Parts: sequence; C-alpha cells; structure tokens
Amino acid sequence: MKLRDIAHMVLEKVSSKVQSAQVVASWEESTPVSFEADKLKAIKTSRTVSIGLKVIVEGRLGESHVTDPEDVDALVEKALEATKFGREVNYTFPKEEPPDVKLYDGAVVEVPTERLVESCREMLELVKDYNPDITVYAYASKGVGESHVANTSGLDFGDEGTGYYLGVHGELVREGDILMAGYGRGWRRAEIDPSEVAGRAIEKFRMAERVVEVRSGRMPVLFTPEGLEVLLLSLKLGLNGKNVLLGSSPLSGKLGERIADPRFSLTDSGVEDYRPSSGHYDADGVPKGRTVLVEEGVLRNFLYDLDTATKAGRRPTGNTACSPNNWLISAGNTPNDEILRDLREGVVVYDVLGLGQGNPISGEFSVNLALGYKVEDGEVVGRVKNTMLAGNVYEALMRISAVGSSPEWTTGSLCAPPVLVDGLYVVSKEGT
Amino acid sequence: MRERLEDALKYGKADYVEVRLEELEATTVAFKGKEIDTLSASKAKGGIARAMVRGGWGMAVFNDLKELSDAVRRACELAGLVGSEEASLAEVEPVQEVTRAELRGRDFRGVPLDEKVRTAKEYNDIMLGHHPKIETTETRYWDSFRRVWYINSEGTYIEDERPDISIYMTAIAREGDKVQKVTERAISHGGFETVEGLQERAERAARRSVELLSAPPVRGGVYTVVLDPRLAGVFAHEAFGHLSEADFVYENPRLKELLVLGRRFGVEEVSIVDDGTIPGLYGTIKYDDEGVPARKTYLLREGVLVGRLHNRETSAKMGEPLTGNARAQGYSSEPIVRMTNTYIEPGEVRFEDMLSGIKLGVYAIDMVGGQTMMEMFTFSAGWGYMIRDGRIEELVRDVVLTGNLFETLKNVEAVGDDLRWDHGHCGKGGQTAPVSTGSPHIRIRNVVVGGRR
Ligand SMILES: [Zn+2]
Repeated sequence: MKLRDIAHMVLEKVSSKVQSAQVVASWEESTPVSFEADKLKAIKTSRTVSIGLKVIVEGRLGESHVTDPEDVDALVEKALEATKFGREVNYTFPKEEPPDVKLYDGAVVEVPTERLVESCREMLELVKDYNPDITVYAYASKGVGESHVANTSGLDFGDEGTGYYLGVHGELVREGDILMAGYGRGWRRAEIDPSEVAGRAIEKFRMAERVVEVRSGRMPVLFTPEGLEVLLLSLKLGLNGKNVLLGSSPLSGKLGERIADPRFSLTDSGVEDYRPSSGHYDADGVPKGRTVLVEEGVLRNFLYDLDTATKAGRRPTGNTACSPNNWLISAGNTPNDEILRDLREGVVVYDVLGLGQGNPISGEFSVNLALGYKVEDGEVVGRVKNTMLAGNVYEALMRISAVGSSPEWTTGSLCAPPVLVDGLYVVSKEGT
Repeated sequence: MRERLEDALKYGKADYVEVRLEELEATTVAFKGKEIDTLSASKAKGGIARAMVRGGWGMAVFNDLKELSDAVRRACELAGLVGSEEASLAEVEPVQEVTRAELRGRDFRGVPLDEKVRTAKEYNDIMLGHHPKIETTETRYWDSFRRVWYINSEGTYIEDERPDISIYMTAIAREGDKVQKVTERAISHGGFETVEGLQERAERAARRSVELLSAPPVRGGVYTVVLDPRLAGVFAHEAFGHLSEADFVYENPRLKELLVLGRRFGVEEVSIVDDGTIPGLYGTIKYDDEGVPARKTYLLREGVLVGRLHNRETSAKMGEPLTGNARAQGYSSEPIVRMTNTYIEPGEVRFEDMLSGIKLGVYAIDMVGGQTMMEMFTFSAGWGYMIRDGRIEELVRDVVLTGNLFETLKNVEAVGDDLRWDHGHCGKGGQTAPVSTGSPHIRIRNVVVGGRR
C-alpha cells in the first residue's frame, strides 16, 4: 500500500469526527556496517514503517502511533480516546507551501553495501598506519526513506530523503590509561571522504601522545565546534519556547536584551540543504525555516512549535516540540588558528563527560574533560586528564573573547567556528 | 506464531540463526506545568532476524511480519559477506518455555485512561501547589506491555511477556536566575500499584527543589566523600559494571591484559555482583535474549576481579562461563552484553561510624546522572551536605564527582551495612535496558568534587 493511500484512508476515517487531524505515514530503510576491534563485525538492514495520527476534538489533542497499516482502526480509536483528556489547544493543522530545501541524494541509494565496507576498511587502515596499537572501530551507514503528510486543512505532501554516515574511533590502552577518540561525519549526500574522517581522528590521537598537567584555577577555554555542546545544551533548553512560556527558562522575559558578547550570533535553520535536521515541515505541518535566535549578542527569538506559539502569542518557527533544527553559529573575525596562537595558557575542549547531569536549564555546568588538551604559548602541549570544567553558560556567553572566522559542520546538526571563552574554572586533581 | 517462526527458520543457511518477534502496546501521559502535555498511545509489531556465518553477523529488522522469512534470508546473506573466521558460540542447553506475566497487583492494561491521567495529575498538582517558588513541573507516566517470541536454530523456543510501568515526577523551582530541579520516580515490571500512593514522594521532590535554591554550590576541591546507597549503586554500575561487560574487552588484547581475572582493583572490603535472578527487581530476567538463563556473577570479590558478563560469543571467545547477560532493547535491536541487577555487597560499618573522623568532607546524595569513559567517570549527585568534624552540616548543590575508577576503588575506606536498591534504565550502544542498582553507604577518600571556587 502506498503511503499516500494510507494517509488518506486514515484521514477519511477520522475527518467527520474531529475539528482537525493530521497523519504522517513513513517508511525508512537503512544499512549500517560495523567494524569492531579491527574486524568487520556485522551488517544490518532495517526496514521500518510508522503511521502517526494527531487529532483535535473539542479543543483537545490526542496522539497515537502504529507500525502496521492493518492497525489503523486501533490508531484512530486510541487517538480519539486520548482527546477526552488531552492537551487543550487552539489551532488547526495548517496548509502552507513547503520551503525550498534539498533532502534527497539519489547517489546514496546507489551505494553498494561493499562500498560501505571498503570505506570502513580504509579508515581503519589509516588509523592503524598511524599507530598499530590503537584498537579501531569503524562505522558506515546509508539510509533512504519516504513520508507522506496529510491533514484536514488540505496539506497533502510526499517527501523523500537520504542519509549517509562515516565514522571511526579508536581505543589506546596503556598501563593505567585508556584513551578513546574518534570522529564522524553525517549528512544526506554520499560524498564523505573516509581519509578526511580518519585524518581528524588521527589528529586527536597525535595531540594526545603526551599527557600533561594543568593547574587549577580560572583560565581561557577554547571550545572546538564539537566541544561547543557544553554551552549549547543549556541554550537549547533556555531557547525552548515552552520552557520560556512556563517560566523555567532563565531567558524568559529577556527578548531584546544582551545575553552574550556581540561576537556571538546564533541561527536555527531547518532549511540547510542535505543537513540531518533539515526538512520541509515540522511534526505539526508548519514549514521549517530560519530563525535568528541571538544577533550580535542580543536575544531575538525563541523556538516555537505550533501549540506553544499560539499560547505565547508568537509565530511558530517550525521546531517540533520547540527543539532545535540545525544550529548555525556565525563566523567571527579571528582566523581559527590565530585564536590558538594567541593563547598563553588555556584548555581546548573536544569532548566531555557528564554533560546534562545536574541542572542544565539553569546554565550551570560541571563536566569532566573526556578529550581536552592544554595550550601553552600558542601550542597544544598534550592531553589533560582528571580535569573538570565548571561554570555557567550564561556567564560564559558574556565572556566570549574570540570567535573563529571559519565555521564547519560537526557530525550532526551544528555548524560553528571555534569559540574562546575567558576565565572558566578548571579543577584538576593533580594541580590541586 | 510458533509454526510461522519454525517455518521461517527453514529459509536460513548459516551456522546459527535466531528470530525475535514482538508486539507492544504503550501509553504515555505527560504533564508540563498545569497542563497535560502529551497523551498518546502506540501499538507496534516487528522483529529481527540474526544470523552468524563463520563468525560474522548479519541482521534484518522489519515491521511487516510478511517479511519474516525474507528477513531470515537477508540476514544470512549479509552474514555471509561478513564472516571470515570460525563460528564460536558458547554451548547452551536448548529450552522450550512459554511464560505469562504475573501481575500480582493491578494489570495496568485494564486501568482506564482517565485514571492514569488523574493519578499523574494528582502528583503534578501536589508539586505545583507546594510553594510559590515552584515555577513548573514535569510528570510523566508511561506503561508498556510487550509480548516476545524467540526461536533459534538450536531448538530453543521462548514466549515471554514483559510489562513495564513508570512515573517520573520533576519539580522545578526558580528564584531570579537560579533554577533547581529535583526528580522522584517509581519504576517496575509490576502493575498499576507501582504508581499509586506516591503523594509524599511528589511533596518531597517539590520541597527539595525549593530548599536547593538557597543552598550554596559546593566548593570545588578534593574531599573525603560519603556516597549514599543510591549514588554508590550507580557508581558500581556505571564505573565498574560497564568495564565488566565482555563485549568491551574480548577482542582488545590490551584491555584483556589490563582487565585480567585475578587482578586486584580495589580494597578487600569491596565486592561487586551482578545477579539477574533476584525476584522483584527491575533488572531481573528468567532468560536473556539469546535464551541463556540468568544467574549470579561475582565481578569483584574482595577487591579482586573474578568474573565478567557475557553473551554466547564473548563467553566462547574468552573461554569464560556463560552468564546470561545478552539483552536487547526491543525488536529493532540485537542483544548486547548488559548488566541486570548490579550491587556492592554490604559490609559491617554503621553509617554513624562512617562519618566519624572526617574533618572536612561531602555527603553526596541521590544521583541525577552518571557517565563514564573507560576508567574516567563523572557523577552528579542530586545534592549533598558538607561534613565537618564528623557531623553532617549545611546543604550544598552542584555536587559533581569525578575521577579514575582504578584509583577510586583503592581509596574506598568503608563499606556500610545498609544495602538499598534502586531502579532505572541503562543506556549503551543506543539501546536502553531496565536495570537495578544497589549498595550500602560507602566512604571514599581523595575524590575530586567539581564546583566553582
Ligand atoms: Zn549503564
């Protein structure tokens, strides 16, 4: 049965019983290949189906999901039952034109499984060439899917998308010390260079050849694009329109105020070609787009889904559950390598442990450096261990002292340059 | 269903083939602030075929049960592309077993939706009404009932039912820019009684979040720390348990050397056990997802590494006994080595005696998150108290502990006599599994406590 037919069949069953309804039917096929401990370990193929229904009856929302088109009666019945107690809402599902964004690369579908295996093998061999003592894990996967969304306002849209991923990581065990580092890239096109991915992973091992000590105290911290998650996690919660509406976000009531150094600008975008979190519509049928959140340090907007936007008297931004699509941090004016070169003493952050524990919405963080390096006189001198980084995201944003001029896409949905923050707390076991 | 599965296996040409099918029905009721946020129900069916050819694995996941025999064929083909060595799976006695869930309490499938909503709303309202500083709340009720069919090419056939029910109650207090969040939860494989009568717990979450607003953050530094049972149990699970999972070790010669059985890792007072057979706990299983019976396994006995958790492949490759720890999250996942109920065995030290002699320390309580990377760990306590001259003093927040596992196990100074269990979910390789963790109070010296100074 075609997705479109399934969607229409469901709508037909509910349309007379509801104020508004929307159904999304989709399937997805993916093939992940994994190398474990230097060897090809497994190939998996997965073909999944999902049918989701949202209905509004007497101003209340109900939702349900099934995987089998033969269960659509249960789908309808459960969604209708849920409306008896569901969330009070004040909207109907919209019908708007889709934005222009590319999500599908036919070349992905053509990639044979053997090429996924070969790409993994190439990454593995490059890492082994650098250091045969590293135990290597490599992953490659391709995916393709189709979806169809239809609602009672007349939206009737079929979509297709692809995905492609390459990643490699290694473990290096020495007496009393285990180092794990890796790199991965994912987007919707088949073009990812295995040697570049491996090169990034090797670079991390190279910089970690020496373990050095760092003193405890305040010092500048350079966040690589991967390491920026330390700052962005709290911002994701703080910019979430629902948290703002409920008052649990520290950014509530601060629109138009300065919340960061003027060098910092942040945009949410669901319409970057071929990026993982791009799409035509969010889960309520609102077209995705671009939303400036922070402009030269000034708070400009929050992320809104349809329901929250209606309740807050704002425009919906195409963000399902008020969560980010892709995030873009604007380029600054300091060349990336100059930031490092001008650093007398500091720490570079790639990966941390313990993020999101505690109370991320408050902006407070206290994390262990899983992969971080010490900088002395403009050069990385080695890896630091048993070191914690603590501070408050909102204070840190005000203390940004340089933003790199060349942003790049990380593994997932972030495009950012490196960002230098002055005076974060570093707590070192050795240095205390 | 059994005949269909037996028939599908005939399409498999491999050293080993298995199929696991599932049917699942779930309900979610979530409040955010005063309002209901999500009310949804779902129904799913699907399966996974897994095949091994010359040591390599092929897998095929599907939702459409008509694809069953095709999935078996595809899994075998893919396995053929992978395999390059000799197949090795530890021997296990085939079993035939059909079990049904024993819900001694109220079967939540029979509880009307409005009662589920009312129950969650009551706790949510208690938190909201506790104090004007309670800014908002989140209360999430979730239940799911899974039926599982498992068959393999060696003659094992198991039918099983797995009920799951939980409620998370989160209070968020705010004062100016300060925000504090405290969660209480109840989880089990039982019936609706699991989520009944929790009014006091809801009240406690709200009270604690307000109290924490005026608590100072702990001063960062190195302290003697007393862990409460909940935090200590998570420590045993996260920091040590995960290193005991053989899939992490078995093909890495250097890790095998580092984690060789017989090596001393901790002081004599410390023994850590994984036991999937303890009735009533959240990690308890009769058989794992390879049809291997659960059992009790000592990981650390009196400070010495004596055992490891295995699936059939790691057991064969390492020549160590099978432990029944291969578990899968659901029909779209292959089983991987997982803990069940992991705990630190109680010692003899009473809590009062544990505090005495600590000049300046931290009593770290509850936990809101824990993460490890090999020997490095980071744990966030829900809150803590300063210990001064053997006495518990002021409440502190932002208590984050970090360190090196191997050093920390040698720095354990005392193990309490008060074992307590806690239940939750463990994440690994993109899958979550129900587990229990347990421990008495324990005292450790030289722990880095993160915080601002
Ligand atoms: Zn875990």
